[in-house]
Amino acid sequence: MRQRVSMVWMALALLVLFATGLFSGPAHLSLDQEWEALTGHGEDTAHTIMWKLRLPRLMMAVAAGAALGLSGLLMQTFFRNALAGPSVLGVTSGSTLGVALVSLGGATLGWAPEEFGMAPQVMGALLGSTLVMVMLALVMGRFRSRTALLIFGLMVGYLAGAMVTVLQAGADAGALQAFVHWGMGSFARGGWGACGVVFAALLPLVWWSLSAGNRLDMWTMGTLTARTMGVDERGLTWRMLGAAGVLAGLVTAWCGPVAFLGLATPHLVRAAVPHRRHRSMVWPVLLTGAILALLADGVVRMMGIPLNAILSLIGAPVVLLLIIGRSRNRPALAKS
Amino acid sequence: MNGSSLTLDSVELLHPSEGVGALSFNLEPGSILVVVGRNGAGKSTLLKTMAGLMPTRKGNVLVSGRKVNDLAPGTRAHHLAFVASTPPRGTVLSVRDVMELALEAGGQVAHADAVQEAMEKGGVAQWSDHLLDHLSDGMAQRVMLARAFVQARDLVLMDEPTAFLDVVGRRSTMEQVGAWMEMGKTVVLSTHDLEAVEEAGWADQWLLLRPRAKGGSQFMQQKFNSMEIKAMLTDS
Repeated sequence: MRQRVSMVWMALALLVLFATGLFSGPAHLSLDQEWEALTGHGEDTAHTIMWKLRLPRLMMAVAAGAALGLSGLLMQTFFRNALAGPSVLGVTSGSTLGVALVSLGGATLGWAPEEFGMAPQVMGALLGSTLVMVMLALVMGRFRSRTALLIFGLMVGYLAGAMVTVLQAGADAGALQAFVHWGMGSFARGGWGACGVVFAALLPLVWWSLSAGNRLDMWTMGTLTARTMGVDERGLTWRMLGAAGVLAGLVTAWCGPVAFLGLATPHLVRAAVPHRRHRSMVWPVLLTGAILALLADGVVRMMGIPLNAILSLIGAPVVLLLIIGRSRNRPALAKS
Repeated sequence: MNGSSLTLDSVELLHPSEGVGALSFNLEPGSILVVVGRNGAGKSTLLKTMAGLMPTRKGNVLVSGRKVNDLAPGTRAHHLAFVASTPPRGTVLSVRDVMELALEAGGQVAHADAVQEAMEKGGVAQWSDHLLDHLSDGMAQRVMLARAFVQARDLVLMDEPTAFLDVVGRRSTMEQVGAWMEMGKTVVLSTHDLEAVEEAGWADQWLLLRPRAKGGSQFMQQKFNSMEIKAMLTDS
């Protein structure tokens, strides 16, 4: 019951933020003009602003926030580590490298990937994220501690970053500018088509995450226990990694390497109610991710600071507090 | 197969590579087998092989008359459960969640009354709404034990379940094992904790895992005597 009430509140917050974003902006349209444009009766400029700029941007924020939240939840479950997330484990870096190879490398070699629209960039991002996830899955058995795995992810991130720098050094000015701009992160790119693709990937994965809830819960008790409770280890591993990689890769392709959203969202949900089964975490994670993305996008529009700067400014202290809180909070019962 | 919970039919293990000899025995429902051996003797390998998580080099493991490796993971979980030496850490599940999942994994109905009953039977109802992570190692291991017995119809495998527990935790774990055995579940328990097993008093079958070069493994159906077994271990 309490959970239903909080879900209603979250949905309301989402609607309010969405409406605020929809009916405000630098274009100084009156509320009447905005409403008319939305209902299809307004003038051309207002119609373009509402239908081609504001709505797809807000929808993309909702889709990307939800997708990164779910991706983060699945990664934290898979690695059984609350500090896992697409931006921490090098998955986003893998996507970035994929995009850089296509956009910077392609331009350097005299190939113009933009002729094919966004498809090469999306493929590059997806390949990059999936490749890093597969690498992580292959090496995770060799590491005794989860910290070592996080360090591995960090190093993969550095490596990808260095390769991107090499590509940047050889790239022409136009391609470089576009890449740097993409790297700052934004929900304003891609339009309806991109929104559609992210939602189309998200919906079946939401359904899957809900239906696999029990198996995901068992997974958190350790591989051995999960396997002897009937979990098909290999099948679940590939599904979790595939889902997390696809979601993070798709968002990165259009919105750039969005920082911290995937890591912070499941945490905020758990901080609100520490005891959650997966099936009751999926919807709050989707809603919280979307709310955070809309909030960040609002700040971007108000202050003109790039999305990734905002998210890092908020996300980094959150993670620090988390680590400090974790080392201080030894549960009382465990001491007895 | 004649009502046995667990049958090993000339089983040779994958590890250790020098081999511990072919293992053959039957465990009846409600019986217990204590597995002893030095570090690296193959205790964990044996338990994982019995659980169907590792293939055999030769021979077959039968759980309730069916080859364990032929069972789908879901069906296997109805028949057997496994308790690792350390309870899971870092999970956000409560004790009630764990027991509910155990019923579901065991193919039983997991409504609220059934979960409550399972928690009471397992002696963990007093912590029902605590997170597993907030319990001490001993308490959490007790929950994992109750979880395994609730899940499995026939067989519970325990790999050194008391390795990280203090004296009180060890004693209470061994008592709990005895209580579940009386309810007709078959138990295979590997341990270094010979005194605690002898003190508990229920052990009347044991298996010493020993390299072939030292005389190979030995399956005994007689009262567990920790001094005698200790001497055999020292010799191996």
